[in-house]
Amino acid sequence: MGIGAQYADTGWFGVLFTAIVVGCILFNIRRAKSGVDLHIRRIAGLNAIDEAVGRATEMGRPVVMVPGLSDTINAKSMQALNIFQHVSRTAAKFANPILVCCYNATIYATASEMIRDAYQQEGAGDKYDPDSVRFISDRQFAFAAGVSGLILREKAAAAFFMGEFYAESLIFAETANSIGAIQVASSTELTQIPFFVAACDYVLIGDEFYAAGAYLTKQPVLIGSLIGQDWNKLLIAAFLVLAVIGNSIQMFGGKVTYAYSDDDETWATVPERPMKKSETFFGHLVNPKPDKKVQKETIKREKYADKDKPGSLTPEEAAKL
Amino acid sequence: MNGLGFLAQLDPKSFFNAAPKSNELYMKVGLGLFIGFAIIGICLGAPVQMRNRIVGFFTFLAGLPYVLYTFFPLPIARGKEDAPSGPVENLSFIVKDSIGAIGDLGSILAAFILLLGVISLFRYHLIKVAKQQKDWGYSVVLIVSLLSISYFGYADWLMRQDSKLSPLIEAGPEQWKFVNYGKDLLFDGMLQIMDGAMFSIIAFYILSAAYRAFRLRSIEATVLLFSAFIMMLSLLGGISLPFDNFMNEHGLGMFTLKEIAGWMRVNLQGPAIRGIDFGVGLGLVAMGLRIWLNLEKTGGSN
Repeated sequence: MGIGAQYADTGWFGVLFTAIVVGCILFNIRRAKSGVDLHIRRIAGLNAIDEAVGRATEMGRPVVMVPGLSDTINAKSMQALNIFQHVSRTAAKFANPILVCCYNATIYATASEMIRDAYQQEGAGDKYDPDSVRFISDRQFAFAAGVSGLILREKAAAAFFMGEFYAESLIFAETANSIGAIQVASSTELTQIPFFVAACDYVLIGDEFYAAGAYLTKQPVLIGSLIGQDWNKLLIAAFLVLAVIGNSIQMFGGKVTYAYSDDDETWATVPERPMKKSETFFGHLVNPKPDKKVQKETIKREKYADKDKPGSLTPEEAAKL
Repeated sequence: MNGLGFLAQLDPKSFFNAAPKSNELYMKVGLGLFIGFAIIGICLGAPVQMRNRIVGFFTFLAGLPYVLYTFFPLPIARGKEDAPSGPVENLSFIVKDSIGAIGDLGSILAAFILLLGVISLFRYHLIKVAKQQKDWGYSVVLIVSLLSISYFGYADWLMRQDSKLSPLIEAGPEQWKFVNYGKDLLFDGMLQIMDGAMFSIIAFYILSAAYRAFRLRSIEATVLLFSAFIMMLSLLGGISLPFDNFMNEHGLGMFTLKEIAGWMRVNLQGPAIRGIDFGVGLGLVAMGLRIWLNLEKTGGSN
């Protein structure tokens, strides 16, 4: 089967779209690095980060941070740790105790290094307590019980929940609320955002979570990439408007007399009828038809027939295939 | 060595694998270990300023196959005996074969790091018990639980790997040994139950969080309260059915609770979720790109 046939399955549009997204981000990073002044707006939830740490310092109680329940270290947990590094830096300035609760050992190892770095950068390496970053458990509700217990026993003044959260999000948020801790949360899981909105003081919704690093550190690379994301959002919005107009014109104006039959896999004349959404130009663009012949061939070849088992063919038989 | 039986199931055709107990396999394992130790040696011996670049280089190397796997044309319907023809197909075969091996490498690293996590947990709680700090009793419970479930879990797993014992254990408790009872009590009898208990607590927390969120504090909270109220009523059959029937009978089918709740879901909630999804997706791409290309300064300082 030919190389490149995968694009017959998925269409070229996805690849082109990814290239545009990546291009916009890299171009803006380059702009920011070259010294172009790029402005970004401040978000209320980010002001709350410093406010929460300040409050914890005044009360002399710890700041609890939870970088989500990712199964392994990934972009979401790294972003959460980047924000926590900023929080730790502020805490280190005021010698405020912190507690980072890790769900996963890889996150624990990375968090230990990053938090130690933050303390050293603030010239407070001696104040860093290795036990302030803890691996709790990699079992969801055992972790929830452990973190809730720590929040209650340590009487945290501020709690940060950022990263991937699932059903346990409300357990954390309500426990912290019960002892009057100020809570700043962010989840990339759409199902958990409403829980955080209902229970926490400040919530970073959706891409605000990824934007936080740029606001907090003002690194040109982060600001450039944020502007790149905004360009992409504008492009997507423009595409959506264009698609709505294009689809409307085709569906209400166009008549179909010749159509592709999925069952027979052939083109044939049909009685005149209005165009379906799946038959419009934009419908085809974002939902290309799978190549059924390729699919059938793949399934056929990937079945472990006796003749296909490694070593079961003589070189002559293999050559014939 | 029943525990290593899974090796026989692997496809020995891949460049990253070899037949069990073959010289090729031992040679590849040796080579892998040599490369691993060499990388660790380079990282430790390199000047501090260089370490970031070395880590960046390996991050790029580890991410490259995944990028190629997504965007490079891969072989379709490749047979078990197919050989690549030409450099493009050769690379595409290597990329497809390497994905599994890189995933395994990640799992091996994660297993080593898990050890770090467990050591940290032990160290913290042993010190707490030794110094009899506040709440040290909980630490004793944790250490005892960790050790006992590790012992019973592993012993039970080993027995289940035995082809003669496994069917007997699966048949029922009549043939169980002490370790099987121990594992059953600790895992199914305690851990699962406690997990369920923690999960059930969420029901009460939802109530208290909803009470706070739906108070008439601001315009946003009022809108939230109003929409949540309609949504809740639409799901309560005892209220929605008679109300909707009444509306239908009076020619107001457009304003039934079911219709209004459906409209809110499709026209308000759906687009909002898609909007958030776009933002999250783009943020994830940007973050991944910065990590993969080592663009971000570690430490995030000004």
